[in-house]
Amino acid sequence: MKKQLGLVFFPAFDWAISSTHPERQERLLYTRDQIVEEGLLDLPAIKEYKPRLAEYADVNRVHIGIPDIAALITDAHLVSAGGAITAAQAVMNKEVERAFALVRPPGHHAMRMVHGTRGFCTINIEAIMVEHLRQHYGINKVAIVDTDVHHGDGTQDIFYHDPNTLFISFHQDGRTLYPGTGFIEEMGSPNALGTTMNIPLPPGTGDQGLHTVLDELILPVLNDFKPDIIINSAGQDNHYSDPLANMAITAQGYARMADKLKADIAVLEGGYSIEDALPYVNVGIILAMAGISYKKVVEPDIHKCPSQSKATTEYIQTMVTKWQDIWRRRDVLAKQAKLDAGDFWHRKRSIYYDDSGISEYQKESIRLCSHCSGYYTVETEADRPGAGLQTAFAAVIPRAACPSCKAAGKDAVAAAKRQGHHKYYFLQDKQQDYLEKL
Amino acid sequence: MLLGIDVGGTFTDAVVVDGGRVISHAKIPTTHGRLLECIAQAIDRSLSELDVKDITRVALSTTIVTNAIVEKKIAKVGLVVIPGPGVEIENLVPLPPVVVSGYTDHRGREVAEILEREILAAGKQLRDCETFAISGKFANRNPQQELQAAAWLKRETGSQHITVGSQLTGALNFWRRTNSAYYNAAVWPCFRDFSQAVEAALKQRNIHAPVYILKADGGTMPLAAAQNLPVEAIFTGPAASVFGVMTMACPKIPAVSLDIGGTTTDIALWQNGLPLFAKQGIAIDGYPTSIRALRLRSVGIGGDSHVRLVNGELKIGPEREGPAMALGGKVPTVSDAFIVAGLVDFGERRLAEQGMASLGSSKVEETAAWIIDQAAQQIVQAIEGIIAEWSAEPVYRVEDIVHHAPFTPQLLVGVGGAASGLVPAVAKRMGVAYELPVGGAVVNAVGAAVARPTLEVSLRADTAAGDYTVAECGVKAALSKSRFTMSDAQELSRHYLLGRAEQAGIAADDMEVVQQEEFNVVRGFSTVGKIMSCQLQIKPGVLTTIAGFSKEEWQ
Ligand SMILES: [Zn+2]
Ligand SMILES: [Zn+2]
Repeated sequence: MKKQLGLVFFPAFDWAISSTHPERQERLLYTRDQIVEEGLLDLPAIKEYKPRLAEYADVNRVHIGIPDIAALITDAHLVSAGGAITAAQAVMNKEVERAFALVRPPGHHAMRMVHGTRGFCTINIEAIMVEHLRQHYGINKVAIVDTDVHHGDGTQDIFYHDPNTLFISFHQDGRTLYPGTGFIEEMGSPNALGTTMNIPLPPGTGDQGLHTVLDELILPVLNDFKPDIIINSAGQDNHYSDPLANMAITAQGYARMADKLKADIAVLEGGYSIEDALPYVNVGIILAMAGISYKKVVEPDIHKCPSQSKATTEYIQTMVTKWQDIWRRRDVLAKQAKLDAGDFWHRKRSIYYDDSGISEYQKESIRLCSHCSGYYTVETEADRPGAGLQTAFAAVIPRAACPSCKAAGKDAVAAAKRQGHHKYYFLQDKQQDYLEKL
Repeated sequence: MLLGIDVGGTFTDAVVVDGGRVISHAKIPTTHGRLLECIAQAIDRSLSELDVKDITRVALSTTIVTNAIVEKKIAKVGLVVIPGPGVEIENLVPLPPVVVSGYTDHRGREVAEILEREILAAGKQLRDCETFAISGKFANRNPQQELQAAAWLKRETGSQHITVGSQLTGALNFWRRTNSAYYNAAVWPCFRDFSQAVEAALKQRNIHAPVYILKADGGTMPLAAAQNLPVEAIFTGPAASVFGVMTMACPKIPAVSLDIGGTTTDIALWQNGLPLFAKQGIAIDGYPTSIRALRLRSVGIGGDSHVRLVNGELKIGPEREGPAMALGGKVPTVSDAFIVAGLVDFGERRLAEQGMASLGSSKVEETAAWIIDQAAQQIVQAIEGIIAEWSAEPVYRVEDIVHHAPFTPQLLVGVGGAASGLVPAVAKRMGVAYELPVGGAVVNAVGAAVARPTLEVSLRADTAAGDYTVAECGVKAALSKSRFTMSDAQELSRHYLLGRAEQAGIAADDMEVVQQEEFNVVRGFSTVGKIMSCQLQIKPGVLTTIAGFSKEEWQ
């Protein structure tokens, strides 16, 4: 009989960024204790899975590592990404109704180009899982709902030009928290406008505000988009006890959200209140996803949870209304954005790798093709301590590229190589499923 | 002289082991409902030519606990739980529990108090119960609430027995501990009656040697200790067999042992001279418990398995439709195939051949070979299944994922009545060598005779909080040293295990760390302490190896 929930639990008890870094060995220790003590792994509705190791091909389908991805990651990253894939496979093979990859290290701050580790993330485990599903299971439309307190800027970056991936992130407002992005205006490039949805929330947002956003915005938008599959980037740092943020969500708030969202696959992201929040939030989410009552999952220190202010409630209501309006008009807005941009849309950015101490400068150009979502090129330059200046030029050919974009993408990287301004040249051909270093 | 008794479903065996040999044995039909009768007969028969004064130890593997549960001859139990917030446990346990206030968190800190008036009220509500079980979430990290509640309950009810969950095991899993505590309390009166009767019967025969009871994990416990932990004596038959294999063959290389009986084959895996243990406790009546057992898989193939053709396809077992045709049975069995193939010699070959012929071909040898090959194939599939299950078991360290060595058996060891017929065929299919130790027919009683006593303690120290817990001993105390290391934790565990062993009357000469963990406790960006856990046990094993049998009829 098909089980309700597949659980890939991988606490990586022997891996840390450093021994006192929030991303350290015992991050899921107390969660392990709680899950095992509650007997969750023995419940007939739940099946535990051992994670497989992701292959480099799975990673290179998404990322372009400078100089190559193997030089930047550890085995732990391959297990974590592999755990997400294992969870997805259990769902796709119809062994379980839905699945939760409760794994670390996390991934949602990892962008397409990778020079190092930022926001504790080196490779994007959800994106790797999504592209694995597209390659092997014929999945097309995907919705990713990022419920971590930090803006999922890595996932946003990877799918920014992809109209078939709806990326929704609610998070503590970027003016008050790392990584400082995730504003409403970041809506996707013109060919994918509206498929990136950022919902910055004021510090102090509680369960009430979260569920307003969920009920009045996220769920209706998912209903309109009609994805083949819903992924939850299930960060838990919105919890009132989290040391890295200032929100006021409870285990009940998280569990009710998991219950309403009914994600096919959830993947753990952040969450650093390892003793006071994670044990309870994870039990709540697991029970909700398994279709078991979570009503009695309450933190022992629940009295410490601040209540949401009236100003916050009003602010959230206003923003929801604003987004509802944008969502309604998204086709018109996309048309206008294309007209404004012309044949190519460009952007320049600097990206900071806080864990590696690297500043990257990026130039991106995407062709606004009328037959496909368009090929794009990325020029990157970063001074990596110990490795010197790393420069690269990459062309990315989307899965549904038209013949003209495919040829133009290849030409672009060949031309760049002839000019020779960069150290490395890459072609990421998602149609043929390979990453080539020229 | 070691006296070992195994009460099986069909036969009760007794063996006497001395100087590394089995010097006497007896096989008596099991008298269901009156187990003491067959036990007494088996003892008398096996000791008929020996001096009882030479008996130094009596060990018993019995179905008493298993049967009590199957036949529902169990006590009415008052189950009291202290679940705190979390999963709703009320509908997950064998009977509706009384839920009381109180909560201990994952670090063993009391978060909410238990209330005396609630416990006393529970006692009143459950006053017609014979025994009690009490279980609290994270009581293994701090048993104080359970112990306090048990004391109040005892005062209120005067009950002769209250099982306290954390004393059964120091391992995490409230649900399993609760189920174990319930079943322990449920079989307590029945086991008490049984053990008193056994003691009386031995006394009557002038046997004053200490008596041990086999556990599901193949260790033994003194009868006095077993009276508090009777549920540990459940499902001991397969464990007895595995420990019999250990004493007679002790495979040192990766191996698979098969106990092939009348209708089933029990499979166990071996590594480094020890059988592998199951990761989780056994389930009783569908309820998961914390009772440790060996990693076993049973497949419905044995010597008596019924063989027939269904739509041209050969079907073997799992049911038995009577004895082999060679012994006057009505339908062909796997044993008839053995006889026709010349692998064993009993009964009337002519009748066995008729059985083979009834399967449609006059080439009876070919039919017999076909049956043996099919049966072997089913066993090989089950072996592959248990290995795959072992290999798919989750691990929580990167190292264990990346460097996972596959289990590749190199040897097959077969015991049980039908082993000689099937083991060579199974070994051939797997491409490994095989062994058929002499005396495989009384392997269970031999296993019981020689299985060593085992005992464990689980210590958890929290240097940030400055305290430690040893659940099985009901201890939570302050750490005396400010710089407490993992080797201090091991030393402290050793101290408690020695104490526990002494109390139980067990020699604690061979201890081993089963599992240990060490994590930092970080506040802000500095390490303020460590959490260490150390599970120490008296190593399972056998008291002696058996080189042979002094009677030639043993094959
Ligand atoms: Zn986060
Ligand atoms: Zn195109």
